[in-house]
Amino acid sequence: MHSLDLTIVIAYLALITFVGVRLGGRVKSAQDFFLAGRSLTWWVIGLSIIGTNIGANSYVGAAGNAFTVGIAQANFEWIGAIPAMILAALVFIPLYWKAGVYSIPEYLGLRYNQAVRVTAAVITSIVGIFAIGVALWALALTLQSYLGWPIWVGIMVTGTVVGLYSIAGGLAAVAFTDSLQVCIMFIGGLVIVGLGIAETGGFTGFATTLTAENPNHLQTYLDADHETFPWPGVILGLGVVLSPAYWCAGQAILQRSLGAKTQWDASAGMMFAALAKTFIPLLIVFPGLLALVMHAEIEYPDMALPWIIKNVLPPGISGLMFVAIIAALQSTIDSGVNSTSLMVTRDIRHVLFKNANRDNDLLIGRILTLVMLLMAMGIAPLVADMGGIFTFIQTILSLFQGPMLALLLLGAFTRHATPTAGLWTLISGVVLAALLLSVGINMLYVAFSSFVYAMIALWVISYFTPRTDADLTKLTYNPWSRAS
Amino acid sequence: MNPADLPTEWANYISMAGFLLLAGLIWLIPKKLIFSEAKDHSKWRDIRVWATVLIIIQLGIYSIFI
Repeated sequence: MHSLDLTIVIAYLALITFVGVRLGGRVKSAQDFFLAGRSLTWWVIGLSIIGTNIGANSYVGAAGNAFTVGIAQANFEWIGAIPAMILAALVFIPLYWKAGVYSIPEYLGLRYNQAVRVTAAVITSIVGIFAIGVALWALALTLQSYLGWPIWVGIMVTGTVVGLYSIAGGLAAVAFTDSLQVCIMFIGGLVIVGLGIAETGGFTGFATTLTAENPNHLQTYLDADHETFPWPGVILGLGVVLSPAYWCAGQAILQRSLGAKTQWDASAGMMFAALAKTFIPLLIVFPGLLALVMHAEIEYPDMALPWIIKNVLPPGISGLMFVAIIAALQSTIDSGVNSTSLMVTRDIRHVLFKNANRDNDLLIGRILTLVMLLMAMGIAPLVADMGGIFTFIQTILSLFQGPMLALLLLGAFTRHATPTAGLWTLISGVVLAALLLSVGINMLYVAFSSFVYAMIALWVISYFTPRTDADLTKLTYNPWSRAS
Repeated sequence: MNPADLPTEWANYISMAGFLLLAGLIWLIPKKLIFSEAKDHSKWRDIRVWATVLIIIQLGIYSIFI
């Protein structure tokens, strides 16, 4: 690695730690730690959402997939994100805001019962810790390939840097450092686009070369019988189920919205993130297409982005791009530890230990942030031995996101869904999804099938079970009622 | 008809129809809910307008890359 690149990387790590720790001085309560004292403005929320969303799979995996399937990979940023983000901004964020909750499981607890709250929090927390472990592993691998650091050194350095600012500054530090990280990602990505287009003879030259050799690579959808991304599966599984479940019920994503200073900032932040999301394919899909046009000789598709960094970018800029990848992974890790620690502190501890002293939430939250990080650091080295753990996590997500979305939709839009029906639908929906997955059905179709099942089951079981005693006025969405 | 034979461009048309439906639905949300307790009611702060711009961009994308 060029010394200029190394200087940029070290300067970045020092800056991010400094900014995060400085913000730590403002943390005086659990609300400051978990919700940034409800002080975040719309543009910080928007950038932080994007930072949390772009992770290991997005940056390296998306470029690799684009190398193989073309622009269809961008569906994860367009049809697989934008409609759900609009729905989240206009419907769900105002609803959570009105309910005054810290987390999505807390909302489910108010709308259904505490058993649903704990079940949702436990599932999300377990998946969250594994996801942080994978992100740590991916970051350590990146540091090894560029700087030659041993894996354990990469994990220790990353854990220490993220731990310092996450434990000290909580959500405020996470959100502000995420914003900075996303700006770096965009600068790095746009430089690649500019230099890449110039090197391939302008946009027309780029598109002509690409489609001459790969006629389907500028098609947004692939054939209905495509093995990985069949278009009906993309629309039904990704567009209708996985994406709304992620954007309307994902704690790591929505936590910064709940930390907004006003409801408008919360909704506008998500909408701003959607605008940025529209252009994310330039950063993560374009490098894969560029590698194809430049006839990159790579062993496997995931090498597309590293190849571009090495062969297209000059010293200094390649350091910046390397920093962008570190930033993408760090922002996923910091958001993961903060949101998981929130759910364990409040949604699990407060419910299971009724006598828990809530004045200790800040201390417990900080300790749990450290514990989550240490657990993830412990899991990270095992990732290599577990093979396709990332696929495993995505699969686990597809197991419960269909039922979770059904609970959220029928809970938010109707008063019909009952607490008992909610709990049984959540459990039976996950079991059904596991069965469908075990017989080899595509993950996208499993998500859609379990969602349809959960919608029907929740509706039908609710006819035979008692309704909640809670006042649902602030927990259901009815924009035309006088109370809204 | 075998589902595998469904024309690929249908996916683009379905996506565009979905975005048009969404564009219609967001304008059914009352303005008072958009601004809630906000004091500044400037036109640019109406996030239904932001959503509409986003949808127009998406319609462009799915009509070009077909």
